Amino acid sequence: MQKILYIEDELLMQNIVDKILSREGYEVDVANDGKMAMQKLIENNFDYSLVITDIMMPYANGFEIISKIRNYTSPKKIPIIVVSTIGNEDAILEAFKLGADDFLKKPIMAGELLIRVKRLAGQ
Amino acid sequence: MELTFWQKVGYFYENIIFVYGLALLGLYALLAILSFIGIRRFQKRNTYTDYTKILQSPLAPGISIIAPAFNEGVTIIQNVRSLLTLNYPRYEVIIINDGSTDDTLEKLITEFELTEVAFAYNPRIQTQPVKRIFKSTNSAYDKLLVVDKVNGKCKADGANAGINASAFDYFLCTDVDCIIEKDTLLKMIKPFMDEQNSTIKTIGAPCEECGYQHTIENNQRVIATGATLRVANSCEIDEGVITRIRPPQKLIPRFQELEYIRSYVLGKMGWSMMNCVPNISGGLGLFDKDIAIKAGGYDHKSFAEDMDIITRMCTYMIDNGKKYAIRYIPTTQCWTEGPPNLKIFSRQRTRWGRGLAQIMKIHKKAILNPKYGRLGLVVFPYNLFFEFLAPIIEFTGILYYIYIIITGQINWHFALILLLFVYLYSVMISTFAILWDQLTYRYYNTWREVVGLSLMAFLEPFLYHPLIVFFALRGYVFFLFGTKQKWGNMQRQGFAKKEMIPQV
Amino acid sequence: MDFSYFTDASIAQLLEEFYYSPLIIQIAIFFIFFSVLCILVTYTSILTKRYKGYRLEKKLERINPIIDDLILKNIIFNDELNKDAEEGEPANLIPLHDFQKIPFKSAFGKQALINRIISFRKSFKGTIAFYLRQLYIDLELDKQSFNKMKSVKWDKKVVALVELTAMDMSIADVNILPLTNSKNSELRAEARHAYIKLSKNEPFKFFDVVTEPLLMWDQIQLFKIITTTEDIAIPNFARWVTYSTNKSIVSFCLKLIVYYNQVDGIPAVIKLLDTKDHGLRANAINCLGKLKVDEVEDKLLEIYGNQTQNCQIEILKAIGRIRSGKSIDFLKYEFLHSSDFDLRKNAARSIISGGIKAQETIQLLLDTATKENLLILKHCMNPLIKF
Repeated sequence: MQKILYIEDELLMQNIVDKILSREGYEVDVANDGKMAMQKLIENNFDYSLVITDIMMPYANGFEIISKIRNYTSPKKIPIIVVSTIGNEDAILEAFKLGADDFLKKPIMAGELLIRVKRLAGQ
Repeated sequence: MELTFWQKVGYFYENIIFVYGLALLGLYALLAILSFIGIRRFQKRNTYTDYTKILQSPLAPGISIIAPAFNEGVTIIQNVRSLLTLNYPRYEVIIINDGSTDDTLEKLITEFELTEVAFAYNPRIQTQPVKRIFKSTNSAYDKLLVVDKVNGKCKADGANAGINASAFDYFLCTDVDCIIEKDTLLKMIKPFMDEQNSTIKTIGAPCEECGYQHTIENNQRVIATGATLRVANSCEIDEGVITRIRPPQKLIPRFQELEYIRSYVLGKMGWSMMNCVPNISGGLGLFDKDIAIKAGGYDHKSFAEDMDIITRMCTYMIDNGKKYAIRYIPTTQCWTEGPPNLKIFSRQRTRWGRGLAQIMKIHKKAILNPKYGRLGLVVFPYNLFFEFLAPIIEFTGILYYIYIIITGQINWHFALILLLFVYLYSVMISTFAILWDQLTYRYYNTWREVVGLSLMAFLEPFLYHPLIVFFALRGYVFFLFGTKQKWGNMQRQGFAKKEMIPQV
Repeated sequence: MDFSYFTDASIAQLLEEFYYSPLIIQIAIFFIFFSVLCILVTYTSILTKRYKGYRLEKKLERINPIIDDLILKNIIFNDELNKDAEEGEPANLIPLHDFQKIPFKSAFGKQALINRIISFRKSFKGTIAFYLRQLYIDLELDKQSFNKMKSVKWDKKVVALVELTAMDMSIADVNILPLTNSKNSELRAEARHAYIKLSKNEPFKFFDVVTEPLLMWDQIQLFKIITTTEDIAIPNFARWVTYSTNKSIVSFCLKLIVYYNQVDGIPAVIKLLDTKDHGLRANAINCLGKLKVDEVEDKLLEIYGNQTQNCQIEILKAIGRIRSGKSIDFLKYEFLHSSDFDLRKNAARSIISGGIKAQETIQLLLDTATKENLLILKHCMNPLIKF
């Protein structure tokens, strides 16, 4: 089963997206903030098929998470989708520069997210 | 009956004190009412204000956060990290390493992958020389800028260097050891956006020359905003994030928490409603950079640089015939470590006393000067009579009491009634402050904690207040006799021990 | 000390003594009682306020997960709903009965539902948002919002407007137009936002009539509404640049022209370069630069000499954005000879943004620059420094 790490500090969004992804058969690990996200990544030895991350959250922001994941050299490259409230040019460029694979601006379309997830993480 | 000279003096003194006391009590009542109105209004707005609109907007003004650091090696990393995770779309974090002698800079360099860059530093305000400027090679930290400079022996010098290096039109001045709420920038920038150019009325048809309708503009420029500070001593803090708010357990910080709440939520909010804010705390304040630079930045000679810069920004605006406003928001946005013991506390308060005396001297031309409008007629007289002179008057009052007791002139009945009146009145004001504060947010986890804090109001006049009076007087004495050298050194240790707080 | 006053004396005696006391003492005694009363009332208020807050929090903690589950079950995971979506008329298919049960019968439950639906719509758009709106209408929650509009309290009205705009509900012009002229500035602003978003016929009508300036906060809200409302007809904003007599409207429209890349509006913006208001002129120059209008470059150079500093900076920036390479000598001259630090820095930045075309000049400047100029050049060339 494909395992996804979903990092989001807003609980409503976190809960709903978690359920949507789980229903599609993904195993979803959720993290509320940057610190918890790093803990999960290390615990699981960076073994995720996909990471979905917010940008603004406590302890470490999304950019830092992306950079940490990208600096971690593993045999396979973990795809990263950014889902964020801020969607200005700077933020989008920065995310891609750091190695994000996709960027979605909130509010999101659930269907769109699913398609993008499927494309990057596989069925 | 013929009065002797001394009896006349005594009579005169009693009358003065009576008027003074009534004025003070009346002022407190006024502040309490105004702050209540202000908080209600803020709360009403808060129910429908959607701050995420600023987050998503390309029109959001940029903000530079300026935080000078001196020997903060122990906590620097987590504090910078917490500053880097604030909710705001466009901001930078400028840390000024003010010639630390510990490993502050080294830690920053390794943790945030810093590298020295050639930086076009524009010294608009004179400071001690800047040695090097660093940026991170990791673009995850591209909001961070670290300035390494020669020690300037005060926070003001570091902050000025930060202003010189900053890129945006607004700057938030804070201390590295302060913990800032995530939504602080959003909430504090809002007053700037609420008041720009609110027009009073328009005049006639569009002007033929320029084509635009002329208006009488209430061109009141918001030049600074502040917010409530609280004491972090007993809060649970996890890597620079407050996870549990708790009133301080130890007595001295606990009294300070009560004092802060009263001073900010009741005092500053009230002043803000009158647009007469005397001071923005050095722990947290958002400023219009343009005006701050034109006013000359922070004064490195001042012992109360935060109050000084506000005063100079105001005088700058008045001297140039511009209207201005300084606003406070009632919610707590910043937590700071209060002095934990008597020794550090005495050092802090003595410094404040000294700073206040200094400001009275520097800006004496503005006192009761109608040219300076509300600054000269309200803010300064208030500072002079109720902040600066209060400890002196209280002290002489005690001496007078002792005198009349010894000479047997005292009417115990009346004296006790008066004392009880003043005591209960002050307790009432403090209790109001706690309620107002609870109206903004349900701080603390249990009602026991709130009541426990409120009860401090009953002890304060006996235990805490005499200390404040004593330390303030000590500060004045130091100011008079200019015990400077000694203070220059002492001040470094208590670096950045914060803002001037009026005793309201 | 004599405490008999407080203990032995009968009430009558006390009153008599009070009566004969000096005025100060009478006031003091009055305030002693007053303070005690206030302290007691305040303590009670603190405790009740906390208790009420606690209760509300608990209630919401209980009801919100229920709402979430119902929305998940009946809307997000309702396959029939999603299947039929394309065939039109899917509206009635949302199973409503779960939402009409006990916790949602009270006003509190309904309000909780409204708030939760709005929160959902802040995170999700598309089909989910569409059906949530449908749910809001089917459950007649809009009635609750419209009722708030009738309240005499302005803040209730604002809340109603915010709710209705968040739900894309249309409000009759007769109801909303009076509010756009309200004396209360907050209500007025919110009514205008609602009008732009919800009005069927002429959403931008008030741009024509408004005389007072748009606050920065209003601009942020309006910008968001204009750029995110899906079926809004975007007019040609140059119209107000030409005809509006309100400076803040003009400056706001310039920003919208940039956002929508309305090149049709360029002539109107160029005309604005002759205005006497330097703030507006700076905005116009900024707009032209962002639209990369290269035919205006010569004119900008021509007027450069007699501009205020903020306009000069905007001109330098605009030239950097246009990147035609035509004005490199001008930039070089400004960089070397201007006495103003910010002008030099912006000139340098514009030279560097010239890229390959400016390569030679950059090299030449690097080789011959003074220490300070070299620093400026290096600063602008360093990709790590953004500003």
